[in-house]
Amino acid sequence: MIVSMTGIVKRYNAHTALDNLDLTVNEGEALGLLGPNGAGKTTAIRVLTGLTTADSGEVKLFGSEMRGTAAAIKKKIGLVPQDLALYETLSARDNLNYFGRLYGVTGATLKDRVAEALDVLGLSDVAGKAPKKFSGGMKRRLNIGCAIIHKPELLILDEPTVGIDPQSRNHILDFVELMNKQGTTVLYTSHYMEEVERVCSRVLIMDAGRVIAGGSVEELTRSTLIEETVSVEVRDPAPSLKESISKVQGVLRCEGEGRTLLVTSKADSQNLARILECATPYVILGVEAHRPTLEDAFLTLTGKKLRDGNET
Amino acid sequence: MKAFLATFWMGSKFLWRNPVSVAILICFPIVIILVLGSALSAYITPETDLEPAAVAAAADPGGLLGTFLQNDEVSRFLDVTFTDREEAERLASNEEVVAAIVEENGEVSVIRPGVGGLYTQLTMSLIDSYKQIGSAAVIAAMSGKNVYDILGKDVSVKDIPLGTRIPGSIDYYAVTMLVMILLYTGMNGLDLFNKGLLSDTGRRMLTTSASKPALIGGMFAAASVTSFLQGMVTFAFTGLVYGVYWGERIPLVLLTLFAIVLFSQALCIFLTMAIRHNGAVMGISQALFWTMTFVSKGYAKVSFGEMDKVFQYAPNSMAHTVIFGAIFGGNEAKMTSNLIILYALCLVLLMLAFVSGRRRVA
Ligand SMILES: Nc1ncnc2c1ncn2[C@@H]1O[C@H](COP(=O)(O)OP(=O)(O)OP(=O)(O)O)[C@@H](O)[C@H]1O
Ligand SMILES: [Mg+2]
Repeated sequence: MIVSMTGIVKRYNAHTALDNLDLTVNEGEALGLLGPNGAGKTTAIRVLTGLTTADSGEVKLFGSEMRGTAAAIKKKIGLVPQDLALYETLSARDNLNYFGRLYGVTGATLKDRVAEALDVLGLSDVAGKAPKKFSGGMKRRLNIGCAIIHKPELLILDEPTVGIDPQSRNHILDFVELMNKQGTTVLYTSHYMEEVERVCSRVLIMDAGRVIAGGSVEELTRSTLIEETVSVEVRDPAPSLKESISKVQGVLRCEGEGRTLLVTSKADSQNLARILECATPYVILGVEAHRPTLEDAFLTLTGKKLRDGNET
Repeated sequence: MKAFLATFWMGSKFLWRNPVSVAILICFPIVIILVLGSALSAYITPETDLEPAAVAAAADPGGLLGTFLQNDEVSRFLDVTFTDREEAERLASNEEVVAAIVEENGEVSVIRPGVGGLYTQLTMSLIDSYKQIGSAAVIAAMSGKNVYDILGKDVSVKDIPLGTRIPGSIDYYAVTMLVMILLYTGMNGLDLFNKGLLSDTGRRMLTTSASKPALIGGMFAAASVTSFLQGMVTFAFTGLVYGVYWGERIPLVLLTLFAIVLFSQALCIFLTMAIRHNGAVMGISQALFWTMTFVSKGYAKVSFGEMDKVFQYAPNSMAHTVIFGAIFGGNEAKMTSNLIILYALCLVLLMLAFVSGRRRVA
């Protein structure tokens, strides 16, 4: 286990930002941390990286506590902060060089790694320019670059794609996937379901300072949903078809006029084969399972939309 | 060590790229010195547009002050009438002269009519430079007398190399200006700490494997060295272009200038650690710099009476004393103690900064 946080409590005056948080990250996985604004994602990361201390609870990184051996442990971590943390007047290359050096990377290794990072993040052409002249997406990419020069074993990304164009976002997601494939453990926080679904193998859902659910995307959606729907399209269905489908175990309703029938079942009924069996006498034109999304699961769990209305 | 050096380089680059700091610390002093220099330097512009202004002097025309007032440099600005004290005072109060210079029992003072204008200020500055050893030493040398005779026991006897040129008001101003500029270089440190350590970028730096002392030390070193080098531009400029006489003990002068730089950075780092509010630190440090420059008469020649005895311990005043002493020969014991006090002050401020930094973390 690379990260283990147990019973973490963090209060800001009267406000409890982390309320008995338990969180673990396993070696090699990409863990998504999902939660609405103010859920405590950033606070959890700040406790994890030693920027702030918890009021109680235990943090273990790479098997040991943060104190004492801090430098050795910190070398294995790369943090991409939620807020841009760059020297805006120094060039992109200077920024990468500097943060690389802070982690003790020097000489030819530093030069190679910086060139590699510039290349993989698509910043080679602007390496000599200062980030203050960059677009939001370019700044975000450089913000990531500064965290990877020392090849961390654990890469923590706190909402790395906020406020940028789809192209830059794709670039970043590809990059994170690549890092993970190459063996880097990833902790990824986001408001965006589709990012987490794409990048992460496991997801934790946070709300009000605690983890309220966890598992793979599939597990989460399956366990939280009450109903699932399938639409079946057949040529010239007889009215009896509706009746026979309704009798299949788990089916709650079967609705629809004409050739498309909408079948609603209890969650996790695993009755699709039997529904289709009823339809075999007819020519089946199409079957579409409406897979529940993480967004649905989130809504069910927290009663909240993942993003504030004014954000997109 | 690696992190310290990396931060030192990064910080230096950051500061040299900062257009505001470069403008304030390099361009501004050069412009000021160009303007002042044109008015004061007899060697660059022998002719001047200024008409000499009428001044009354209650002094012996054959004495040191008299010789000084009649020398070439001064008489370009002042048209001096020698008279007795009562008459001089009357002329001043009737505004018939821009100032009355009175020498009594070895004390030289300036009586100004009302508030006084540019020429009154100029007269006071010239008299000040006379009192501040510079020109006095010249006059002493010219009149074959000893500096000791003019300024009393505070000054040791020293030969001024007059072979090539004569020190004048510009020499005095170059010192005042440079000390003032260097006092303000704490702004460099502030800027670096604000955009670095106290920002999101700084929080990121703290999550790296670099140690906090290496990061803070690197920034402090970058701000100090960069500020000093920026001051050196003015130093070299005044020396090379205006031929300002910086004396023969350049290392001592530089050591003193560096003390002022360190003091300024240490003060800013301490305020930053103790207050942690950019705007407040900025305001307080500016106000402190302004006050120090004011009480040590960096802006205008104002007398504070008895308080002057206290104000001579303003860091920049202490630096002035050492530098003038190094150039024209001053009391060695006083110079040494001033320099030690200055460096000790830096140390105390840094320790205070360290303590308040610790307190915040705990
Ligand atoms: N320094 C602080 N002082 C006081 N309260 C804070 C501080 N930092 C965070 N909080 C509070 O703690 C709670 C958790 O904040 P946090 O930034 O961890 O949320 P988040 O999940 O990262 O939200 P977002 O998605 O908006 O980034 C919020 O209610 C926030 O107001
Ligand atoms: Mg956050």
